[in-house]
Amino acid sequence: MATQTPAIETHNAAASKPSRPLWLEVLHGWVTTVDHKKIGLMYIGYALFFLVVAGFEALLMRIQLAVPNNHFVSPQVFNGLFTVHGTTMVFFVGMPILFGFGNYLIPLMIGARDMAFPRLNAFSFWISAFGGILLYYSYIGGSGLYGAGSAPDVGWFAYAPLTSRVFSPGHSTDYWTLAVLLSGVGTIGTALNIVATTISMRCPGMKMSRLPLLVWLYLVTSCMTFVAVGPLTAAQIMLMLDRYAGSHFFDTQAGGSAVLWMHFFWIFGHPEVYILVLPAFAFANEIIPVFSRKAIFGYPAMVAASVGIGFISLGVWAHHMFTVGLGPGANTFFVLATMVISVPTGIKIFNWLATLWGGKIHFTVSMLFAIGFLFQFLVAGLTGIMLSVAPFDWQLGNSYFVVAHFHYVLVGAILFMLFSAFYYWYPKVTGRMLSEHLGKWHFWLFVIGFHLTFDFMHIPGLLGMPRRIYTYEADRGWMIWNMIVSSGAAIQAVATLLFVFNMVWSYFKGAVAGADPWDAWTLEWSTTSPPPAYNFAKTPTVASRRPLWDLKHPEDPDSNYETEQHLPRSSQEESL
Amino acid sequence: MHVDHPKQDHGLHLPSPTAWPMVLALGIALVLFGMVTSGIVSALGAVLTIAATVGWFRQVLPHEAHESVEVSTEEVPIFSSRTLATRLPADATSRKIIPVETFRITTGIKGGIAGGIAMAVPAAIFSELKYHSIWYAMNLLAAGGFLSWAGASNAFLSEFHLRGLLAALVIHGLTSLLVGLLYGAMLPMFPKYPIVTAGFMAPLLFTGILHSAIGIVSPILNQRIDWFWFVISQIAFGLVCGFVVNLQAKVRTPQFQALPFSVRAGLHSNLREWEPIEPTDSDDKDTPQ
Amino acid sequence: MSDVALISNPNEEWVLPSRGIVGMVCLILAEASIFIIFVVAYIFYMGKSLAGPTPKEVLTLPIFTSICLLSSSLTVHAAVSALSRSKRHLCSLWLAATVLLGGIFLAGTAHEWYDLIYNHGLTISTNLFGTTFYSLVGLHATHVLVGLIMLALALWFSLRGQMTHEHTEKLEVLSLYWHFVDGVWVIVFLVVYVLGR
Repeated sequence: MATQTPAIETHNAAASKPSRPLWLEVLHGWVTTVDHKKIGLMYIGYALFFLVVAGFEALLMRIQLAVPNNHFVSPQVFNGLFTVHGTTMVFFVGMPILFGFGNYLIPLMIGARDMAFPRLNAFSFWISAFGGILLYYSYIGGSGLYGAGSAPDVGWFAYAPLTSRVFSPGHSTDYWTLAVLLSGVGTIGTALNIVATTISMRCPGMKMSRLPLLVWLYLVTSCMTFVAVGPLTAAQIMLMLDRYAGSHFFDTQAGGSAVLWMHFFWIFGHPEVYILVLPAFAFANEIIPVFSRKAIFGYPAMVAASVGIGFISLGVWAHHMFTVGLGPGANTFFVLATMVISVPTGIKIFNWLATLWGGKIHFTVSMLFAIGFLFQFLVAGLTGIMLSVAPFDWQLGNSYFVVAHFHYVLVGAILFMLFSAFYYWYPKVTGRMLSEHLGKWHFWLFVIGFHLTFDFMHIPGLLGMPRRIYTYEADRGWMIWNMIVSSGAAIQAVATLLFVFNMVWSYFKGAVAGADPWDAWTLEWSTTSPPPAYNFAKTPTVASRRPLWDLKHPEDPDSNYETEQHLPRSSQEESL
Repeated sequence: MHVDHPKQDHGLHLPSPTAWPMVLALGIALVLFGMVTSGIVSALGAVLTIAATVGWFRQVLPHEAHESVEVSTEEVPIFSSRTLATRLPADATSRKIIPVETFRITTGIKGGIAGGIAMAVPAAIFSELKYHSIWYAMNLLAAGGFLSWAGASNAFLSEFHLRGLLAALVIHGLTSLLVGLLYGAMLPMFPKYPIVTAGFMAPLLFTGILHSAIGIVSPILNQRIDWFWFVISQIAFGLVCGFVVNLQAKVRTPQFQALPFSVRAGLHSNLREWEPIEPTDSDDKDTPQ
Repeated sequence: MSDVALISNPNEEWVLPSRGIVGMVCLILAEASIFIIFVVAYIFYMGKSLAGPTPKEVLTLPIFTSICLLSSSLTVHAAVSALSRSKRHLCSLWLAATVLLGGIFLAGTAHEWYDLIYNHGLTISTNLFGTTFYSLVGLHATHVLVGLIMLALALWFSLRGQMTHEHTEKLEVLSLYWHFVDGVWVIVFLVVYVLGR
């Protein structure tokens, strides 16, 4: 079982060797699988495909904006581009790729054979996948305002009343709604699966206080998914009713409220940001300690901060709506709530720094990306605090400053941590190492491209450039900045191609990894690379947060130091 | 329902592969797809949905379908790859354990209350000497909370106002409690020269921060504050709060159990003699130096 | 593979919560947040309709059907406890009672809707009241319908003697869902028929 090379890039690889099963058999195996590892890989592969597609859309937009008075794409196409780019990146790249990693890693990290509900897991993947296909089918079949073949063009948050039948005739908006609805169903299914797996499938000894931090953060993310994606689903149902059954939820002519849609959307939309960023934190929690050769600093504080972020993030949505005019009371509340969320986030950053402090840092590519994440996430957090101040937001709401801010989070923090995770876990998944040499090129090119694009994107925002304009006049003083931003985007594209090449090349030619190439401490490294279908031949038992450290250093195990915090004081005194 | 960890000897049970989840997802997607294309697609989707529901149901009930998988992997030996040199014998002090002792949370609260009271004394003296009313400092503090007091006269601030008392109590009380808690948490980290740290360093640092921020926090306070007396009352707070905090008994944290027996038994009377030499629990100590 | 056997007390029983129940609790959490949004929309649009009919004119308290639905919570609980004591015939009986009570509720809702549509001319597109009323009550009725189908299946298996003691946990998970549906009705009843009338 384990000697079998796993099939990620299956089809061609399988077909080329005669001893392997036939192409159709392999395909059948992937379609019918309920194995959490295969489903995780399908999630990641599907998300990577859409990452390239939506990245390509971003490039088209950047080409259009690079010079003033450009006519590379028409305004109609541009509207479709930013709508589909945003929707794809959030629903069909961010969520699937993070859930893919969760699917693959969580059972391995808690010593389980599979997820709690393997069939539901497959169902969740497929329904999200069909949602993505539905969204992109609109490019062929969607009859929108501009005739057949027009994509959704209402923006990724689809404000009412633009989405009503009157203003968006045809079916392009319906494609958006249905695709998001399908993806939401899949997301809730996977989140449910992750919670049930984490609670009910842990191996003996894996108490909640010994759970790897990655699993803890996925637990928090999943719980947030229920309370965030639920409202989104409800709002999409309402929108469908408005468009198909003639109801008046968001119909201002019949007394309906357009602001209600904003509230409902952002009750989903803001926790969503944390749903996306918490898994990135989760990767950092595993990767930074291993390459600092130290245990994570402040495990309980990390858990508490994550849970705190989860709760606070549910009460900050209206900071997306300062420009609506909510009144001083609501504005003050959401300003303060938004600022408060920087406290648990700050705790996390300090804990990562304290983990690095005094450690023997190994600058592998994975670690380089993690350090880039630390720095960039801090900057993104600082511009976030700036925007959380309502009067400042009134000035810059809907400008390129906002675009720069959230791309700093999404690319600078989440995508960097995803790259880091790819370099870290690729050996476990394929049994081969990614090339460090190519990886360093990838890292440096990407860092340079990222900073060129997103550092300089703040400036046209401050100069008053609004988002979602398809072109601009030459005399606005935005030209040079847009040129720099667009050139940075091109560098990022080159770096990403390098990464894709590295993945393919290393799959065939990379150095053989072995079970535990990083000398790491969590359970997934105790099984072969790639892991067999049953993960562990013998169910492991653990006695500390770093079970593999205990095995590697029996003379100095962690379990000596992780005393039970919840024991009554008297029994602790006795044991002294 | 618990089939998670079956015995090893007759293979492992894994859920058998099935296409029904995929078909169900396709069915539901097609039903929605029909809403934007044509009713026939929806009808096809409905048929698939029903078929897949039945199929899935029969997979799970009355018993979940399983397939047996033979265990065929070799044992993975687990060892650290960093074994270029022989590992030093594990030293009990190789791990930094912080802190071994700490204050209870109530300690900080007590210190904060005591310091808060002590701080009021120099403030009252200052008010009495300069403005001949002990309420002046209180009203000045409270003025930061009321917009209408921004341009108040000295005479107004010298009178007693109940609103001022309540506002000043809240502002002063909360700040004192927070700083007291901070003292409780921080003093064990700076065990040397507690008087200098608590009584002078912290108040001066705090004054410095406040000096730069006060213009934004409370402009009226910024105009009329007397920094000399402010520093004196800060030092009064620091000394009393630090004293009260240091008076309280420390409690041992759970980390204490990890100390070597000799320390725990009290053979080393002073914990600080036994400072860990190595700063980290880095496991690179077994690489060649 | 590796025996990571460092557990201090091997005799210690390692018991974890049932995955079925955890999964159902998660589903209920997600469903609850969907319902909350619909309830919020209902409350937000209360009295904001630009044209008639208003709730006061057309709604009557569905007391009998509500009693039926709420008491079905008790009967499904009785069915679970009967099954856990291996009394399979009793379990069938209680399940049948549950399906009957749920069916009465659904029929009551259908009758109410028929009356509203054909006698009072209130449809989902009439006004904001119609929009929020039909969507909230309809969403709940959909959940009742799904629960009813599942319960009917359980009854079918129980009558054929295929449901045994070891299926107690599955029936319990189903009963959790049914309790949730009943609990939502309490909220819907209070908001739509008491507060909103």
